[in-house]
Order: sequence, then C-alpha cells, then structure tokens
Amino acid sequence: MRLTGFPLLVASSLLWAAGSSAATRPHYGGTLHVQMRAAPTSLDPSDSNQPGWFESRNLFSLMFDTLVSLDEQGKPEPALASSWLAEPGNQRWQILLRRGITFQDGAPVTSDAVAASLRRTNPTWKVFSEGEAVIIERDSAAPNLPAELTLPRNSIVKREGGKISGTGPFAVFQWDPGKRLSLAARDDYWDGRAFLDAIEIEMRKSFREQMISFDLGKAQVIEVAPEQAHRSGAEGRHVESSAPVELIALVFSHDSQSPEDGRQRQALALSIDRELLNTVVLQSGGEPAGGLLPNWMTGYGFLFPASIDLPLARQVRSEIPHTTSWTLGYDPADPTARVIAERIALNARDAGLGMQITNASSADLRLVRIPLISLDAQNALGELAAGLGLPQSKSAFSSVDDLYSAESKLLQSQRVIPLLHLRTAYEVSNMVKNWRTARDGSWRLLNVWLAAEKP
Amino acid sequence: MRSANVNAVYNARIPHMRAPSSRFPRAACLFVLMLMRAPMILASDWRPPEEQLARKIAAATGPGAVALDLVNRSSVNRPDVEEIRRGLLTELAALGVRFVNADQAAATVQITLSENLQNYVWVAEIHQGNNDASVVMVATPRSSPAAIEHPASALVIHKTLLWIDESRILDVALVNSSPQHMIVLEPESVVLFKFQDGRWQQEESLPLSHSRPRPRDLRGRLALRKDHLFDAYLPGTFCRSTPTAPLAINCYESDDPWPLGTDQSGLSAFFTPTRNFFTGALSPGIEKQTTVKAFYSAAVLPRDKYKLWIFATVDGQVHLLDGVTDQTGGKLGWGSDIASVRSGCGLGGQVLVTSNIDNASETVTAFEIADREPVAVSQPAEFSGSITALWADSDGTGAIAVSQNSETGRYEAYRLSITCGQ
Repeated sequence: MRLTGFPLLVASSLLWAAGSSAATRPHYGGTLHVQMRAAPTSLDPSDSNQPGWFESRNLFSLMFDTLVSLDEQGKPEPALASSWLAEPGNQRWQILLRRGITFQDGAPVTSDAVAASLRRTNPTWKVFSEGEAVIIERDSAAPNLPAELTLPRNSIVKREGGKISGTGPFAVFQWDPGKRLSLAARDDYWDGRAFLDAIEIEMRKSFREQMISFDLGKAQVIEVAPEQAHRSGAEGRHVESSAPVELIALVFSHDSQSPEDGRQRQALALSIDRELLNTVVLQSGGEPAGGLLPNWMTGYGFLFPASIDLPLARQVRSEIPHTTSWTLGYDPADPTARVIAERIALNARDAGLGMQITNASSADLRLVRIPLISLDAQNALGELAAGLGLPQSKSAFSSVDDLYSAESKLLQSQRVIPLLHLRTAYEVSNMVKNWRTARDGSWRLLNVWLAAEKP
Repeated sequence: MRSANVNAVYNARIPHMRAPSSRFPRAACLFVLMLMRAPMILASDWRPPEEQLARKIAAATGPGAVALDLVNRSSVNRPDVEEIRRGLLTELAALGVRFVNADQAAATVQITLSENLQNYVWVAEIHQGNNDASVVMVATPRSSPAAIEHPASALVIHKTLLWIDESRILDVALVNSSPQHMIVLEPESVVLFKFQDGRWQQEESLPLSHSRPRPRDLRGRLALRKDHLFDAYLPGTFCRSTPTAPLAINCYESDDPWPLGTDQSGLSAFFTPTRNFFTGALSPGIEKQTTVKAFYSAAVLPRDKYKLWIFATVDGQVHLLDGVTDQTGGKLGWGSDIASVRSGCGLGGQVLVTSNIDNASETVTAFEIADREPVAVSQPAEFSGSITALWADSDGTGAIAVSQNSETGRYEAYRLSITCGQ
C-alpha cells in the first residue's frame, strides 16, 4: 500500500489532533460543580413540607434509590427490587429485593428496613416484610404500583437517631441546608461506582449569578431560564433541555360558586393568548397547554383547546349579568411570572373581565408553576392534582381512555386553567461528558465524567 | 405467601430480565439481513387497533352516513398512514358505516393518529348534531425505531455484524470449529452460540458469579485457549471454562493480568479492579520495560528484531515502547481504544484506532507506523454509536469492535478486518 495515496487522510488525522475534544473512554475522578436557584432545607425525600422542585428530585436521586425506576419510555425497570409480582386483583404485591446492597452507613438493606421506609411515606398502605421480600397490600387494585414506587417520596431511607441514610451512588459529605451540598461517590455502589469523585452543589443562586459563575469557570452545570435557552443555544453555548415538563397554570382559590362564576372562568380561559405568552414572553421555551399533561406524555393532549378565542370569550362574558373583578396572585421572586400575569390581565380585560394582579399572599386565583414529577402519566396526573389541591381519582386507570376521563374531570372542575408546559434547561460545560438531561428533566449523573482539560 | 405465589400474576417482563428464547431470532434475523444487505422493514400489524377503533366509532355513530377525516400527529410514516386509513374505512364499512361528504353526514368523525412515550394513541372525535363531541380512543404499543440502513461502501476496513444485544457486550470470540461457534462475554454471563442453518443458535448461557459491584464502563476480555475453551477476564474477576463437556465456568476474585494484543503477543497487564483502565504494570514486560503509564488499550506491531508496543494512555497520549525507549506520540487525536490487526497489506500490520471526536457516531481508522509517525491508511469505518470495546481477536487477523447504537441503545458487535488494494 502506497502511503502517498492518503494525503487527505493524513491531513484529516492532523486536524483531529488540532481541533477535537477528548471524547475518549470515560475518566474516573474530579468534582462536578453545579449551581441552582432552589434552596431545599431538607434532604429527606419524605419531607412533604419541601416544595416539589425538580432540583429536590434530582438531589434525592443522587443519595437515594427507589425499588423501581422508569426507563426513558416510562416503563418500570428494576432498581433496588430485582423483580415484583402481583396477586390477581393487583391489591397485594410481592417485591423481591436485590441482594448485597448496603446503606451509606454500611448497614445492609433488609426487607424490614425497606418496609419501614415505605410505611412512613404511605400510611394508608399495609407494608411488611416476608423473608427477603416486601409485601404491599393496598385498599383497592393498584395495577400501577411499580410506577408509583418510582416516585421520589418512595425512596428507600434508613432513619436512625435523627440521621438519614440512603443507598444511592453518592453519600453526603457536607450539608449546609439551603446553601451548599457536598457529595462523595460511593465506591461500593451496587450499580457501579460513578465516574465522578464528588459533586458540589451551590443553592439559592439566581440565573444571573449562575451565568457569571459559569463564565468564570466556577460552575460546570447551571440552570438556564426557559426564555433564555433558545438565545443561549444560538450563542453557541451548550444547552440541554428536557421535554416540556413544568406546568404553568392559573389556580382558583375555591371551587366555582355559581353557574355565572363558571361561565366567567370559561370566558377567562378562552381569552388567554397562550401562543403569544410562549413565543414572546418565554421565547418558545415551552408549549401552549390546554390540558394538565403534555401531549408527548398522553397522546391526547391536543384534544384540550389551547388557542385564544376572543369572540367566544366576549360572547360568554356578555351572557353573564354580573361579573366579579378578580385578583391574580404571582410569585414576586419570579420575574417572568409577573410578565405572564400582566399579559393575562390584559387578555382578560380584552374579553371584558376585570382583573388586578397582586403579589399578596391571598388572591382569587394564582399563577403557579408545578413540575410533572414522573414520566408515568398516571403518577404525573395524581401528583399534579395533589399539588394543585384538586380531588384525586381513587380508581385505577386501565387504559388511556380512563386517564383522559380523569384529566377531563379535573379540568371540568374549573379550578385550574392550564397555560403552558415549560422545558427545563441546563448549560453544561464542554468539560462535562456524557451529560444527559432526561425527557422529564431528571439528571443522569452516574455516567457523567469530566475531561481532564478544557478543549 | 405460598398461596400467593401459586396464584401470582407476573408483571410484564422486566426489560433487564432477558427471555433467551426471544433474543435469538431478533439478533439472528438482523445478522442475516445485514449479511444480505437487504432493506430492513419492520412492518406493523395495524389491524387490531383498526378493528378496535372502528368498533368504538360505530358504537357511537351507529350504522349510517358519516364524514370521516384523518390527521397524523405521530411518527407513523405516510404509507402506513394510508394503510391505516384504508383499514379503518374497511372495518367501518363492515360495521354498516357509509362515507359521505360533511354536508350529507349524520355524524362527522375526526380521527387523529397521535402517540405518547409507549403507545400510538388513535383518537376519534365524533360530532353528531348540536351535541358535544364524544371522544373514543385506542392505544397500541409503539414499535422500536427501525434500524438505519447504511449504503454499502468500498471501505478498506470491513465490518461484519456478529451480534446485537440489549445487554452490554464486552467481547466476542469466534471459535474455528465445525460448525463454527461464537462466544459472547456479557457483564453477567458468557453465552455460547453455534452457527447452524445459516444463523447463530444459542447453545448455552453460563452465569458469571461475582461478589463485588462491577465498575462503571465495564470492560472484559475473552481469550481462547488450547487446553480448555476460553478464559474470561473482568475487573477483579477471572473465569475459566472447564476443559471437558459439559461446559461450565469457574469464576473467582483475581487481579491476574489480562492478555494484551493477540495470543502470540506474550504480554499481559494488570487491570484496575474498580476502574476501567490498566494500571500500567506489565507482565512479564517488554524486554526491560515493565511499566508504562496507566492505559486503556494496547496494540503491537511486529518488527524484524523486536515488537513495537503502542499504548493509549489514560491521559490521552500515545506511548510507543520497543523494549528500550518509551516515546510519547503526543496527542494524535486518537481515542482510548486501539487494537492491532495482521492484515498482510502495506507494512503487514496496522493499528485500528477509535476517533476522539464527540459525536453521536464513532469511527475506526487504520494507522501504520513506519518511523514512529502514525499515518492513516484507511478511510474511517463508521459506527452508529460510541465504541465501547475494541480488542484484537485471538489469531490477530482481525478485531472485535462493540458499539452502542445511539438510536436503539443496543450493543452491536462487529468483526473488523482489513483488505488490501482498495
């Protein structure tokens, strides 16, 4: 073979040497520096006083495992449980545990410890150990139990003397509540030691502070506001986004008081220009939403209208003899929320409805942001309903029709008006390899590793 | 709980629990299809959901005149959409529904083909008179994305697909026997296949016992032996097959050195039991050189009076060792995995090298080293995902490459060989 026949190839190999990154086999070691806006003050997944932040869920997943996890398609797969089976009727479940797993304090994971953990977060469940298995008995059929076990609150936690310990890939090294969390990789993690040695997470950092830290090289992963994600990407920054997984909605403080009240709520829902909110205010950082769950999760979301219909809104308004002027509350710490609230008040006035925005704690309706905490649609709807204070369906869903009926019923209550589903976005340094933001916005840090040098 | 077990109903098969019987036909079919370079078509059977949805629509409208429209919001391709449309019309007609224009219809039906994470969701919105629309829907599981067919190309490096698996493939060894056998090393088992009736048929699956958690980016190597079938090396674990039938495997915790290069290389190296690289300690050494920097992979090029060893070290550099000197090749843009191939072309032997470019797909290129300067001597062979293993095969005439398909997530094992004069 004549070497002269390959000048182009030689040139290309030299170009690789000059301009390529070190995309090689993963390296062990290093500390990943992350910053976030949220400021959780508890690391206990069962602490119901903590807001349902994405960030909390992501932090929990570093320190704790659940019995079951969901794959990218939302299908349950084994985690701490090696398998599970249900008796006919799906009320009684037997969960078989993976062997040889320990908590971070070195204690073995036993069926007793797992049962105690689940009992604490699910007082209505009957949970007990039976040999190496855990038995869960429910009041009614629970065909979706494996998916339910993937919820962060069902993380397996050992509590002893006021201390909590998990089985996750990282152990707490230092914890300054609401400010800083230092985690160290566990060498004995059952699913393989993480490539990273440590993770340093700084909390309560505004988007601006995070961006400055990133540009100074003090953080390698930061959050990006949905309205900034598109621009950051266009500027050549490495931005990773989830599917639209955070619901922005209007939630009324009480049920509809009368048919006129219901008609007025209908007129408001018809008057809102969600498309404009998404494209102008949020710079296409999400999708207009007519339903509670996004279409990518259910397949039927398009059935709930999300388009503005001002003529119909005005017509409905004209049929109401006396309307009430509402107050619309928003989170004063969220600058985008104020802009959205102002746009909604304008839309309402266009339809002939009176509305004043307020950052006071009491208001007739509030602008809220609620994360969809699970890839499983039934779980996501249940958690969403709980978060919005809406009545939850008691019956199990066996089909997509059931899910649609349940979501329709929640919307028909007129307690909530969905507006948008937002994406979560992160800017990730080029030194961080294998970073992947899952569809639901969750981190998958086990396979993340740091390149030795900046390309 | 005894009675509970007796009456238990299992959940759907857990993905990590493979059903051996189902794994063979899929992979074998893919293998045969790849060999034949035939277009790959994963046809879906739309008839059950067509029947189901048609029944639901007819139950709502009753027999009579209906105006029907169909919109596709899913990833179903256009020919399939047409097939579904025809199927639905046929099913509805069989149930007494007639199709007319909207102005003549007693009911209008808007069908939307949608999807969620796991299913295709077909929704029918039925409008009758001034009533609110009624909605019926059916869900049917989504098929896996079809494999992408790459056009045939005149590459010097030839890829032959050996096996595809959901589970990580660490190494593959082809045994020259009649019929031919193939050994596949996976994290939890060694699987033995026999080539019969034009396809690989699983003969045995031997579980690998281990007490310590496996490290991430798990690696492993098979070595064919003369006095027994094979040895398997995994981090902190050594496994040896029995010399006689029935075939069994014995594993124990061990930090024994792994063989480098080919059977004839005569060099081994110690592998870090909790990481993904070799420590750098060599056994017995390259003449006087017994250590090198920690490395991911090694290749050997025979010279007239010595062997030139090439190491892809953990720090991203390439080291050339000849028994006397340790020359740093600098950062050549090579990836972590290299393997030598004795092709008989050019200088006789080449080094196959993975690329180091961040990309959804990865490449392997053949290099020759004449005067300590590596020169690319082939076009890059492309893979549809990152390469997770690259080992020289036992006789040194080829290499085994495993890539994880970035679309399907499956692991694909190939034998790479080099041919001359193209």
